[in-house]
Amino acid sequence: MLRSLKGLLCRPLKDRGFALHTAAKDRVSSLLTQDVQTAPERPRAVFYTNENDPANHAEQHEGRLYSIPLDELKTVFPHGLPYRFQQQIKTFNEACVMVRKPALELFTYLRNTNFAHPAVRYVIYGERGTGKTMTLCHLVHYCARQGWLVLHVPDAHLWVKNCRELLQSSYNKERLDQPLQASSWLKNFKTSNERFLKEIKTQKQYMWGRRDRTEAGRPLAEVVEQGLARVRNASDAVGVVLKELKQQSRLGPFRLLVAVDGVNALWGRTTLKKEDKSPVAPEELTLVHNLRKMLMNDWSGGAAVTTLSQTGALFKPSSAYLPQELLGKEGFDALDPFVPIPVPNYSPREFESCYQYYLQRKWLQHEKAHTEAGKEELRFLSGSNPRQLDRLAGPL
Amino acid sequence: RLICTTTARQRKNVGASGPEKYTEAFIKNQIEEFNLGKRHLANMMGEDPETFTQEDIDKAIAYLFPSGLFDKKARPMMKHPTEIFPEQRKIQWGEDGRPFHFLFYTGKQSYYSLMHETYEKLLNAQKYQDQLIAQDLPPQKKKRNLAGSRWLTKIELEEMLLEKLSDNDYSRFILLLEKLMTLPCGDTEEKYVQKFSKEVPVQLQKVVIEPLKYDERGVAFSTGEGGRKTARATAVVYDNGTGKITVNGIDILHYFPVLQDREQLLFPFQFLDRVGKHDMVCTVSGGGRSAQAGAIRLASAKALRSFVTEKEVEFMRQAGLLTPDPRVKERKKPGQEGARRKFTWKKR
Repeated sequence: MLRSLKGLLCRPLKDRGFALHTAAKDRVSSLLTQDVQTAPERPRAVFYTNENDPANHAEQHEGRLYSIPLDELKTVFPHGLPYRFQQQIKTFNEACVMVRKPALELFTYLRNTNFAHPAVRYVIYGERGTGKTMTLCHLVHYCARQGWLVLHVPDAHLWVKNCRELLQSSYNKERLDQPLQASSWLKNFKTSNERFLKEIKTQKQYMWGRRDRTEAGRPLAEVVEQGLARVRNASDAVGVVLKELKQQSRLGPFRLLVAVDGVNALWGRTTLKKEDKSPVAPEELTLVHNLRKMLMNDWSGGAAVTTLSQTGALFKPSSAYLPQELLGKEGFDALDPFVPIPVPNYSPREFESCYQYYLQRKWLQHEKAHTEAGKEELRFLSGSNPRQLDRLAGPL
Repeated sequence: RLICTTTARQRKNVGASGPEKYTEAFIKNQIEEFNLGKRHLANMMGEDPETFTQEDIDKAIAYLFPSGLFDKKARPMMKHPTEIFPEQRKIQWGEDGRPFHFLFYTGKQSYYSLMHETYEKLLNAQKYQDQLIAQDLPPQKKKRNLAGSRWLTKIELEEMLLEKLSDNDYSRFILLLEKLMTLPCGDTEEKYVQKFSKEVPVQLQKVVIEPLKYDERGVAFSTGEGGRKTARATAVVYDNGTGKITVNGIDILHYFPVLQDREQLLFPFQFLDRVGKHDMVCTVSGGGRSAQAGAIRLASAKALRSFVTEKEVEFMRQAGLLTPDPRVKERKKPGQEGARRKFTWKKR
């Protein structure tokens, strides 16, 4: 009950004023029984839920927020949370994620997957700021709790733009390496999947350059160490990791989840240039090439969930959000067949819950924000878009 | 040499400068020429000369002599000479030098004669009232519609009398008329006073608020139009809605990414406390981002008038929701870089 005590600390004089949501409407079990003496009406408003395990999230929890313990956050999400959400975590000292319908849909699909069949690919799409990345994070948390091996690529757009160093790959002369991005990704991968790396063994021998090599049967952790130590080989290390995981997920005791945010970056254009100022195609980047292979449906024993993102997309109009537009023909054919999952703006109930959360955390300081009229105004001005609401509520 | 020309010569506006230019014979000549010209014009345009009105003349002239000048008075026109040549006073004295009017030597003969006549009417009215009192009849008071009429302005009075007045004179005359009005008058006095009063339209442009219309689903809706700078918008506001707004087929979040524009759209609804209750479908064209937002705001406020009580309409009007913004882009002047900005000043 660590969370409940933390809840006590964070909210000293909390919901005495919240006579609105009385016990009559309450379906959530009152966790803080010891708190009953101080606040007779149940301490958390209807928009919270105490189910911290995403596995148990069901329809009745839709529209409610659940929080992730902060230490779990560090292992599960070393990278991958949106920047604004990270700031919110720091401010509120807790990470509250809303349970929404697309995520619940994905959970049912994942529960019912047949792991003998080739991996199903899911594409989460929607307009800007509707919560695609957050849905992906919710899913990652769920899979981490379930004990899957999570391969989380926080934003594929980072691999195709703003890269300072491009080395020619030693493995394949035509390709280009990105040591910095690869090494940072390996570091984060290590923190999130430590125990798996010790268990999984390599099946082939790999040569790094002329001197170093990794024998067959060594734990994957060694490959990762090699990649981190020798930054030049980092991209190749990533490639090796991906290949091994792909081969072993079919047989191995673990399930593999490939979670890629901003998958449309893999098939678009890059802003990188070679030394002779000619543009680089995405295929020429090792990381992208390997990731593309991962997203093929020729492996089994897991699932691949991807998100489309217009925000970092290069050379695409800002009004594009459908898979067809953002992936382009090439990407669409590569990912076809996939299960599309649209993410809409907040429903009235979800909006209510988000608004109450902000109120309760005393994020909305303006006196008018507490009124009904203020709520309507926020609803109108944000258009029930999560990102707009977040940005609007900031200065208030 | 005539001695009494001095006072007459001082007045330039109406009168003295006139007679040399606009003699009666001259004006008559002009009128004849005008009528002939009118018939020629009618023949040219293929219309019937007998039924050729002034409006037709104007249209014909605008057609034959198109002009791009901004000032309407600078464009070619063909009007009756009495409209073009201002009325001039005829010479006030005869061949022997004796003036015709008995008050000529006061200097303001028409003004004083007017005062004299009005005072005479006043005295008659007082006598009449005395008679009534003598006969023990109650004094009758006819109610005049004071709200709908106003007295002639000083300039109008000057035009009527064809001579200059001072403010003092004018106010004295009006006071006299007011005094006359308080007494019960007979018919002749009524007619006399009416010469100096003008009708004022009682309620200037009383705006008619359209009633609500109902579409096939039975939902009430109303339309409104508005403009700002160069943007023009039409809005259709539906009842029983959720607060969804569509502009040119696009949701407002996408059409107006800037918060400021969305706040402008929010304002009429928020003012009437009807934020989530109406749906709106708008079309807008022209102008820029702010202009379009302002145009839609005005259009939606006008449409909302039908849903709302008269008092609230008055509140809206006072809040400035129903007034079209008259500001437009100011013209650039020659010798300056912009409308106000001057070229950089160099000392040498």
